[in-house]
Amino acid sequence: MIKPEEIKMSTDESGKWGMVIDQDICTGCQACVAACAMENNISFVGEADSGYGRSMHWIRIERFWEGEYPEVKMTPNQPMMCQQCGSATCEPVCPAFATIHSQAEQLNLQVYNRCIGTRYCANNCPYQVRSFNWRDYERPEPLPNQFNPDVTVRRRGVMEKCTFCIQRIHKAQDKAKSEGREVLDGEFTTACAQACPASAITFGRVDDPESLVSQLAHRGHGVKHLEELGTLPNVTYFKGG
Amino acid sequence: MAGYNNNAVHKKVESAHPKAESHHHDEEHFREKHLMLDPLPRGQMNDMVMESMTTTSWKFWAVFGLLSVIVAVCLFYVWGYMISEGLGVTGKNRPSYWGLFLVNTVFWIGISHAGTFISAILRVFKAEFRRPFTRAAELMTTFGLVQAGFSVFMHLGRVWLFYWLLPYPNQRMLWPNLHSPLSWDLLAITTYLLSSTMYLFLPLIPDLAMARDKSTGWRKTFYKTLALGFRGTEGEWTHLRNAMNIFAFAIIPVMFSVHTIVSWDFAAATRPGWNSTIFGPYFVVGALHSGMGAVVMVLAVVRGTMKNMKYFIRPEHFDAIGKLMLIISMAWAYFFFNDYMVQWYGGDKWTKQLLHFHEAGPMGWMWFAMLIANIAIPWAVLWNPKWRSTPWIVFVVGLIINFGMYLERYIIVPVSLSINRMPFTWRLYYPRVEVLLGIGTLAFFIWLYMAASRLIPLIPVWEVEEGQMAHELKKFGRETVVSVSELE
Amino acid sequence: MADNISRRERSGQVSLLAVFPDLEPAADAIDHLRTLGISDDQMNVISGIPVTEAMLGRPNQWTNVPRLAGGGAVLGFLGAVFLMYGVPYLYPYPIQVSTQAVIPGPPTVVVLFEITMLGMLLSTFLGVFLDSYFPNYRPMEYVKEVSDGKIAVFFICPEESREKFTKAMTALGAEKVEVAEVEHL
Repeated sequence: MIKPEEIKMSTDESGKWGMVIDQDICTGCQACVAACAMENNISFVGEADSGYGRSMHWIRIERFWEGEYPEVKMTPNQPMMCQQCGSATCEPVCPAFATIHSQAEQLNLQVYNRCIGTRYCANNCPYQVRSFNWRDYERPEPLPNQFNPDVTVRRRGVMEKCTFCIQRIHKAQDKAKSEGREVLDGEFTTACAQACPASAITFGRVDDPESLVSQLAHRGHGVKHLEELGTLPNVTYFKGG
Repeated sequence: MAGYNNNAVHKKVESAHPKAESHHHDEEHFREKHLMLDPLPRGQMNDMVMESMTTTSWKFWAVFGLLSVIVAVCLFYVWGYMISEGLGVTGKNRPSYWGLFLVNTVFWIGISHAGTFISAILRVFKAEFRRPFTRAAELMTTFGLVQAGFSVFMHLGRVWLFYWLLPYPNQRMLWPNLHSPLSWDLLAITTYLLSSTMYLFLPLIPDLAMARDKSTGWRKTFYKTLALGFRGTEGEWTHLRNAMNIFAFAIIPVMFSVHTIVSWDFAAATRPGWNSTIFGPYFVVGALHSGMGAVVMVLAVVRGTMKNMKYFIRPEHFDAIGKLMLIISMAWAYFFFNDYMVQWYGGDKWTKQLLHFHEAGPMGWMWFAMLIANIAIPWAVLWNPKWRSTPWIVFVVGLIINFGMYLERYIIVPVSLSINRMPFTWRLYYPRVEVLLGIGTLAFFIWLYMAASRLIPLIPVWEVEEGQMAHELKKFGRETVVSVSELE
Repeated sequence: MADNISRRERSGQVSLLAVFPDLEPAADAIDHLRTLGISDDQMNVISGIPVTEAMLGRPNQWTNVPRLAGGGAVLGFLGAVFLMYGVPYLYPYPIQVSTQAVIPGPPTVVVLFEITMLGMLLSTFLGVFLDSYFPNYRPMEYVKEVSDGKIAVFFICPEESREKFTKAMTALGAEKVEVAEVEHL
């Protein structure tokens, strides 16, 4: 049993799993969004609610433009998902411990069963990447057949968010363990990275200097969003490289 | 005793002045103006209060029936519908995850602050004008907190699991997260609700005993049960006095902590516009602002509609509360400006964007209406002693202040949430069923108050009598002034 | 006083009550009773407003309310200490939120304050119940006039000198002097 005082504080370097997103090659095709929804059993919200700002996407492609029509300049697409902050502002504000920091994966966990729906975490997330189950959304036949058995289905009143496909992490770890080895870099990846036709998303161990994601992240022109808030995000973005 | 005191006033003035005739006018003037100098025999006051409780016109029942329907439909039916459907039936979205429910919670907690302010702070500082309406104000505290509790539970996505917020040992070995401002909120509101209810009940015991002695039938049983066998022995009074003293002092920091913690729900968040260190006192003053406004409204209605209340609640009381309202309005303006000035000067681009959105965004009218209702109108009206002594005028000002304070909370919660550091998610919030539920809590508040006004003595008769014993007129040279002895 | 009835009946004593319209005569009567040999603990006063002991020249009443309040505050504080310093050690593994310490500093102050106040105020309230024996629905010696502002003085005197006491009280302004009847309030 770990004593509370033995816990190490997360620092910039202590992140375990991380991601690099190259906005320059992102085409904004939304394949990642679809793959994420399939992988993580995300509800289909429907037009009306989605149009009112209740879309349930754990990853979204943000599009921006500058200037007035007709001189509109598109800026690169910006995929945005939970940044798995090392010092997450969403965690301490939950009164029920439904969102906590995992020691093993150094990820920001969301415990659906413990969530009572105060939505404080979502307010306090500077990236606004949390999705709330405003209703029990319909899932007509035969859609239930494509449920991913590794992921909980959430009900109304519960907050959810990107987990870095923690079920895939665990699967890969279990497999590696049974074969008596470490998880290899590139052995598995998240659903969004897997689906990206342009390979704009790279996922892996950021604490391993040899991994692809580490090599990319240290290439120099990467930025972390809203880093000035001290959230220690684990996703690095490339833009205008 | 009241008779004795009455004579004392007469004697004092007459013996102090050789020409009793010329002084008669003076004294009449004082009696008319001040309840404390216009004593009636205790028995008569008791009968007046009992009569005020037992007299109900058809209008009372009509309003009461209408409110019952509104409570049943708007509060309980709509809430049930919302629980079964999910919060999708409200107008919340990303980024306005919080909406009218939290506005209502802050609003009702604000209303509840007036009761404690009047009965505890004014008791500690021995402000004598408080005596006839401490209970009327305390009732607002308790009933306001009930509505705040309703509102905050409505807000929960899975309200049926609310008990997970309570610290209790359980098989899963899970405890609430006491890092969270919401947990402090729950603790603070629970503490405040319990202590304000106890503080309402303690000074009520002697009046319940009085009502027990004066009533028959089911009322007798009701009062007998609630009066707990109080007789008024020296011991009982001593215990009661000691306890009320402890409560009066201890409930003040609790009251401050409650609204400060409510403000921390916002101030502790890393959001532009919320992350402000002045929010604690700003919210406390805001709470008093709306609370005092609500107290005068209640007093004006009680005075206007209940029998015999014109004797107990007089223009002098509206004058005194009017002065407090004016001062609190000034304090609110000070804190508002402080908050605004520092945020404006800070230069953070998101904060700047938000401030601009407050004033010039689609909800800009709210921002200006808030300033007019909270500052301009109270200042323009309440400086005038004549106006602020007129119940209906103060009633209207109180209503306007509450409207303005509601807008203030609306601007802080959903309007500020519309803007954040992720421009892609910016979106406006339009309330839906929250409006009905808000109306439901308002109706339930009034419903509870109406029921209480017919069940428990609204006037603390023994406190009024005590005050009347303590007051007398005294001559200094040619001038007659009111002097108060400290009996407590 | 209700408890003492049977004892009093056995020893040939009687409990009288004198109702006074005001403070002055009641205070005089209490002084006079003392000269007649009735000690302070054989008297009791009931009134409709809080008449302080000093007004009637009575000895100070003992009350446990402030002590109970203090005790409740201590209990509340200990409860809060358990929640803040004990509970984090009860989990099979520590739960970490953000980079905050498992036992956070400033939030501890908030919780300590709230629960201490809650403990104090709850026990103050309970203190009134304990000290006054509330709720108490047994029949008791009472006169309803006290809620109309009268002051009633109860005292225990020997059965044979009942006449003497009645006269003395009436002379001092008592509106009525009679044997205290035990009644349902």
